[in-house]
Amino acid sequence: MTGEILRVLLLILQLGFVALLYLVLMRFAGSLLRDLRSAEEAQISSRSGIGRLSVLESPADEPPAGNTIALGPINSIGRNVNNTIFVEDDFVSATHAMLTFRGRSWFVEDQGSTNGTYVNGHRIDRPVALSFGDELTIGRVRMRLDR
Amino acid sequence: MRIAWRGAEFRLLLPILLLVPFGFLVTNIALAGTFETGDLTLALGYVALFVGAHLLLVAFGHRGDQLILPAVGAMGGVGMIMLNRLPQDLAGTSAFGLELGMAATQLLWFGVGIIAMLAIAVGLRDDGILRHYKYSWAAIGIALLAATLLIGYEVNGARLWIDLGPVSVQPGELLKIVLVIFIAGYLAETRTLLTSASVRIGFISIPPLPYFLPMLVLFGAVMLIVVRLNDLGTALLFFGIFLTMLFVATGRRSYVLIGLVLFVAGFYVAYQLFGHVQARVDVWLDPFADPLGAGFQPVRALYALGRGGIFGEGLGQGLVTLGGNLTIPFVHTDFIFTAVAEELGLLGAFALLGFAMVLVFRGLRIAALARDDFGALLAVGLTASLGLQTLIIIGGNTKLIPLTGITLPFVSYGGSSVLASFIMIGLLLAVSHRSGTADRASGS
Repeated sequence: MTGEILRVLLLILQLGFVALLYLVLMRFAGSLLRDLRSAEEAQISSRSGIGRLSVLESPADEPPAGNTIALGPINSIGRNVNNTIFVEDDFVSATHAMLTFRGRSWFVEDQGSTNGTYVNGHRIDRPVALSFGDELTIGRVRMRLDR
Repeated sequence: MRIAWRGAEFRLLLPILLLVPFGFLVTNIALAGTFETGDLTLALGYVALFVGAHLLLVAFGHRGDQLILPAVGAMGGVGMIMLNRLPQDLAGTSAFGLELGMAATQLLWFGVGIIAMLAIAVGLRDDGILRHYKYSWAAIGIALLAATLLIGYEVNGARLWIDLGPVSVQPGELLKIVLVIFIAGYLAETRTLLTSASVRIGFISIPPLPYFLPMLVLFGAVMLIVVRLNDLGTALLFFGIFLTMLFVATGRRSYVLIGLVLFVAGFYVAYQLFGHVQARVDVWLDPFADPLGAGFQPVRALYALGRGGIFGEGLGQGLVTLGGNLTIPFVHTDFIFTAVAEELGLLGAFALLGFAMVLVFRGLRIAALARDDFGALLAVGLTASLGLQTLIIIGGNTKLIPLTGITLPFVSYGGSSVLASFIMIGLLLAVSHRSGTADRASGS
């Protein structure tokens, strides 16, 4: 008789266990769905561009360190105020470098500047492809290309 | 450092932490045949580990993904329930004056793994050490492999183990991580070159070889040694990881196509050259040709899957041993999925797959949200590793593909595997923390 009861009890417990297993899975599904929905909203509210520059270090404070600059497909960088990215620093030339988005990737080209353009600490002498996360140094200003 | 509540993680962990003691309870009642709760110490220890991990992440203000830890907890929980149910003398340690059975040893490794995971998730605020020293990492990987080749010893025809006094380790598990770090670092640096320049020959565009060569040479060396070690599962896994990362980095289908052709060719050559490979394939095609010899394991596994059916035999009620012998050899490592499917049925097996899917989904999401190419590629590589491992071993268990001995992450018994998997989760959390957007989106 106890054997019978035990068997029924075990069956109930087993079903309970599987039910709990699926409860956990449902909760995961709920979390994932909520997440997708909020991600969708976030995407609608801010259509992200092709990239941005984060200013890491800027002794003359123009642009200020910590700022991010949204990038268009063609960006000129220099001390002349007519550049798309205006950099106030004594070591930067009037038109220092060009940052362009061609096809699927970013390229940077030095425009004959006095002090040179550096990518990840190496001076460049021709157009160089940039990956997201690369560091660009112009004069004393350090910037990072981000998504 | 600021406390950051991780509400979604907490809400998901809660039912999982109920699940594990409940599973232990059902198992104990079924095994004892009486209404006793039995020993729940290990289950409570497991709960304590994950609660501790959650609280530490909160205390350190970690803003990484909140679904990953619960998914790991669910997979590991099912694994712990199964390992606790199997005969405890299958494996274990007697280190530090303690006699630990299999489940207790596994719990110990979960503890070590969780500490490693937290250290990486919280401590690795800057990935420079990974990215800039990629060749050093590659050298470490090669050294690990060479060590295995020289002083390793064989288990089941594959030389994977190194004896380190109280513990034996499987360097291949750690090599996996090092390899992913190297490939991610290399591809992040040369990605633009690999996509922009190429030589066209007829319809096929050939990748620019000079940029590819260092990576190909290293990868080729690793593959050769792995095949030399007879570790086919790992070879398949590495190849899958490599192709996935290459495709994600370049977005070129032609690379994947070339890779697949190379794989088929390589497999054919291996089939012709190595008896080991031939035997595996023959057993896969017809395990019933020699049901008491070569086909013993897969045949027994198929019977176990059949016994399980849709609802399962019930926890603690499967046919694990018969006359004092295991019905399926290596049920605690390679065939743990079969044990789950026998006792929890198709329903339980699906749930386990569901947890693995959540893990992979979140891993890819972390990659998509990563700030830089290196982080994205690292996350893709680690996710591919966890996902492919699950796919390869479950495929092998169910006779979908030839069986190769690798572990099911977080479920199979094995210290090296558990530790390596937790290190990978730690890295994923670190990448996710740096993109810093996860908790805003995780439904809190």
